[in-house]
Amino acid sequence: MIVDNAPTVLSVKNLTANVNDTPILKGLKLEIKAGEIHAIMGRNGSGKSTFSKILAGHPAYEVTGGEVVFEGQNLLELEAEERARSGVFLAFQYPVEIPGVSNLDFLRASYNARRKHQGLEEVDPFDFEDVVRDRLQVVQMDASFLDRSVNQGFSGGEKKRNEILQMALLEPTLAVLDETDSGLDIDALRIVAEGVNQLANEKNAMLVITHYQRLLDYIIPDYVHVMYDGKIVMTGDKELALELEAKGYDWVDELQPVGV
Amino acid sequence: MGVDLSGLTDLNKADLDALTANSTPGDRAPGKAAQRSTYYAGLLSTVTAATPATDWELVQRLRSQAQAVAQEMALPSTRDEDWRFTDLSPMLAITLRAPALTTLEPAAIAAFAIPEAPVRVVVVNGRFAPELSNLAGLPEGVTIGSLMAVTDRERLASHLGQQGSQDAFSVLNTAGLNDGVVIELERRVQVAKPIHLLYVATADQPAISQPRCLVLAKAGDSHCTLIEDYVAIGQGGYCTNSVMEVVLGNCATLHHVRLQREGEQAIHIGKTAISQDWNSHYTLTTISQGASIARHSIDIAQTGPGTETILNGLSVATGEQLTDTHSSLVLSHPHGTADQLHKCIADDRGHTVFNGRVFVDHDAQQTNAAQLNRNLLLSPKARVDTKPQLEIIADDVKCSHGSTVSQLEETELFYCRSRGLDLATARSLLLDGFAGEILDRLPIASLRSTLASQIAQRINPGSSS
Amino acid sequence: MSASVSTLVNQPYKYGFVTDIESDTLPRGLSEETIYAISAKKNEPEFMLEFRLRAYRQWLKMTEPTWPDVNYPAINYQDIIYYSAPKQTQKKQSLDEVDPTLLETFEKLGIPLSEQKRLANVAVDAIFDSVSVATTFREKLAEHGVIFCSISEALKEHPELVKKYLGSVVPIADNYFAALNSAVFSDGSFVYIPKGVECPMELSTYFRINNGDSGQFERTLIVAEEGSSVSYLEGCTAPMYDSNQLHAAVVELVALDNASIKYSTVQNWYAGDANGKGGIYNFVTKRGLCKGKNSKISWTQVETGSAITWKYPSCVLVGDNSIGEFYSVALTNNCQQADTGTKMVHIGKNTRSTIVSKGISAGKSKNSYRGLVKVGPNADGARNYSQCDSMLIGSNAQANTYPYIQVQNELARVEHEATTSKIGEDQLFYLAQRGISAEDAVSMMISGFCKDVFNQLPMEFAVEADKLLSLKLEGSVG
Repeated sequence: MIVDNAPTVLSVKNLTANVNDTPILKGLKLEIKAGEIHAIMGRNGSGKSTFSKILAGHPAYEVTGGEVVFEGQNLLELEAEERARSGVFLAFQYPVEIPGVSNLDFLRASYNARRKHQGLEEVDPFDFEDVVRDRLQVVQMDASFLDRSVNQGFSGGEKKRNEILQMALLEPTLAVLDETDSGLDIDALRIVAEGVNQLANEKNAMLVITHYQRLLDYIIPDYVHVMYDGKIVMTGDKELALELEAKGYDWVDELQPVGV
Repeated sequence: MGVDLSGLTDLNKADLDALTANSTPGDRAPGKAAQRSTYYAGLLSTVTAATPATDWELVQRLRSQAQAVAQEMALPSTRDEDWRFTDLSPMLAITLRAPALTTLEPAAIAAFAIPEAPVRVVVVNGRFAPELSNLAGLPEGVTIGSLMAVTDRERLASHLGQQGSQDAFSVLNTAGLNDGVVIELERRVQVAKPIHLLYVATADQPAISQPRCLVLAKAGDSHCTLIEDYVAIGQGGYCTNSVMEVVLGNCATLHHVRLQREGEQAIHIGKTAISQDWNSHYTLTTISQGASIARHSIDIAQTGPGTETILNGLSVATGEQLTDTHSSLVLSHPHGTADQLHKCIADDRGHTVFNGRVFVDHDAQQTNAAQLNRNLLLSPKARVDTKPQLEIIADDVKCSHGSTVSQLEETELFYCRSRGLDLATARSLLLDGFAGEILDRLPIASLRSTLASQIAQRINPGSSS
Repeated sequence: MSASVSTLVNQPYKYGFVTDIESDTLPRGLSEETIYAISAKKNEPEFMLEFRLRAYRQWLKMTEPTWPDVNYPAINYQDIIYYSAPKQTQKKQSLDEVDPTLLETFEKLGIPLSEQKRLANVAVDAIFDSVSVATTFREKLAEHGVIFCSISEALKEHPELVKKYLGSVVPIADNYFAALNSAVFSDGSFVYIPKGVECPMELSTYFRINNGDSGQFERTLIVAEEGSSVSYLEGCTAPMYDSNQLHAAVVELVALDNASIKYSTVQNWYAGDANGKGGIYNFVTKRGLCKGKNSKISWTQVETGSAITWKYPSCVLVGDNSIGEFYSVALTNNCQQADTGTKMVHIGKNTRSTIVSKGISAGKSKNSYRGLVKVGPNADGARNYSQCDSMLIGSNAQANTYPYIQVQNELARVEHEATTSKIGEDQLFYLAQRGISAEDAVSMMISGFCKDVFNQLPMEFAVEADKLLSLKLEGSVG
């Protein structure tokens, strides 16, 4: 929702970045205020996922210019875990499997790392079970998930639900959902989207990165940005997503000046 | 001295040497070392005496290098780690000669014809027999012929004798190199029908024949199925020592079927040495059921990225047979895949051996290698020795191996019987299932049923409970 | 970085100090005279001297094994000191009489021996340079008929027991290093659990190498009579020297009908520096004999130290229905080499064995699992399950798996599985994105990977082992 006079959560100015010395982001600008849901669309290779990894602080991506300010602090000078503890959450496109580490232990370690950062007391294993059981309902997950190793042997839908469960636990200020709809059937997509909608409020912000419009039928964005060659080239509301769906990405190509 | 060995007495014999951390496996027969050297030297002079003169410098050089190496070698013993479970001592009692020239009537080999594979290359006692072969109907871009008759010798220079590791038998083969079969595939050749490479042993003389074959698939999208088939006409004892070299250029695909159905008295030693360039696909399906002692060594090197290797194997040892498969797969480039399934069935006093090495080198990141070895023991005197071997230096890889030794599932047998099948039928049904998993991977329909019934005949369905 | 991990990672090898103590030492080198001298110093019964001499004569005929997947320069056996003991002529009856320097040493290692401080429910035999300096709780154990003492004392007080069982599981000429040990062993622990007794506390031996030039040759013998049970733990540390020290121990376990022995090891010998200089050569023969029906022997090992490890704790399952278990975590870092695993030899009917091996290789190290499962012709109904997993950290480490499976019984069932996984950048980033630091991430993944083995350790040691692994991996993940 767009809230008048809401504080700025994320401010990105002229961001440029390389992967293996190849420029991928070429001057990205974006401003997100509390309460807003933004969607970034674009074809594969336009730089969407790179942007999400940079926000989360992946070491393989090199920022070459510009600035990223999150709640008034320079995000780029924080380590990945410090960003997470400060409230930047990335729902991964491909959540990794971590054999041997139980989902429950992992969630508790993560939950306590965030709480510690917030100056709150860490939660012991017994109390944590109550906390996590409560959140499981958000993504309609069964408690047996908690005893399994992190993402190991999970179906694509289960992995994505596990991501949203973590989001529900960590209550981030900025949640970046990277291609969360990829690989989901319609039922899983609905569960995930409903989870996200339950978690959205006037204090946090969401950045939904997607290739297709279909996720945006369930998570209604306040703003839709189109990314092309490392920059945001168009911004509109939900209608832009529908237009893009109808006309295809070639339409965006044609609008670009020759030589870009 | 009061060391109490009661209850441990049998340990001091056979079991103790397995227990002892330190003794090398075959310390048992050191006295035979000299005999093994002498015997091997005899074999060497037998095979080299039969080599015809040639002006081909490459062949001269390969022979003389191999002869020099062979001077230092002996018949392998169970003291050699690679031959730990395969005792070749029975060979010592057989004096092997060079095979006499034999001519066969086409009718003599008619039974071995495979309907799906009209193109047939026949080799009798190690010699190419053009009169029995059928090379009509070869698609353009495929050349098959005698090694010694090759006109463009330059092309073979960097391939012949270059594949795989050297052991006492492959060295012996090269030292006595007299002829062989060369199969060449040009780029983009799609060979629709399988090529049948039929090795016939007349088994009427204690001879050592040394077949040799080189398959050369040039870079680029060729596709071919090759059936390498060892059969015998007579019942006598003999020895086959074969070497098959395959060089796959990039993007070439070969499905290689290897059928070892030698005579009951035979000693079969075979080496399959493969080199695979990037994006090539090699599938090997081996069915080993013949010979009294059989050893098949598979040496595969992936020499470029994105390469795929699939190995399927079925070994059956019944009676007093020993069937040994040693495979070595070396992955040294990124994004390689390897998938191996090897199954063994040991019945009566049969003994199967499997040693499967997978080596993933430093640069072979993103490798995906899986190996599975399943063994079925069907009788109280049968024996299985297996040793998967995984050696990994790269860290970003997905590798697994598994190995099982068991008998037919009691519950499955019971299920079949509860549906009215008698025990023998139930057993053969389950055995068919076990073997079928490999046989079904044969790309030639007629072979599946022929081999299934040959294997079923070997295994007496009522041999044990 | 969490506080516990950061304290740990900042002290690479905290046991590397040397105790300055006067020693009674034989000259370097090995000959029959050395054997006579060792035996005389220990005032041994005649049969022991004969045992040693036979072993020595056998050893002379043997050659050092070359098949393990490890490389090291040739060992000069004439340059080793075969007997070195802290100068206190007699083992003291009361701990108060033990040289305070020794008590301090063990206290520094976290093994307090004095009455006031010692661990409440663990009896400790403290071995310093191959000689037992103190054994705690002897009286309390004696009330239950349990004998727990050094093997030298056992030779004096219970020669008939030692004579009956010594060399019965690991014969003197079993292998090169076992033969050497049989010839020159200086001390070790002896445990005897009488019929029907459940040992009332954990027994433990703590091995400390101090001398830089002496070889270490301990001998441990544990006998569990019918229906008895015992849990035993050994720990090992050594100072940091630039040279390598040879440690060739032999451990023999005998379990009679319905008896069970649980043997746990936390091995943290000095591993050498980051460039592979120094460290212990740990060439050890450990074997348990399940002699009786329904007997059980379980090995649990956490191997993190030593420049080279070469050991295969084994079970010989002779008694019908007997059970062998092997749970192992072997971690190698820097230039360490480990060739370790187990042998399960099924001889009796319905014998069962389980192998769970977890290898972690980091740095430039080489970590090989080598295991034998052998089912003899009479072992009807034998079962084995093996699970061997490797974890690689960094791209210069090597993990090898060599399982040997030999089956000669058609009623047996053997299953072996192996997998390889890694701690990679993707996992670390994922965990970092959830607020978890790299150090915590690694220790979570390692604990998860090793869980099945740590669960087998006595509680307090499981925690210790977990910490030890994080510590050993310091600097290997970036």
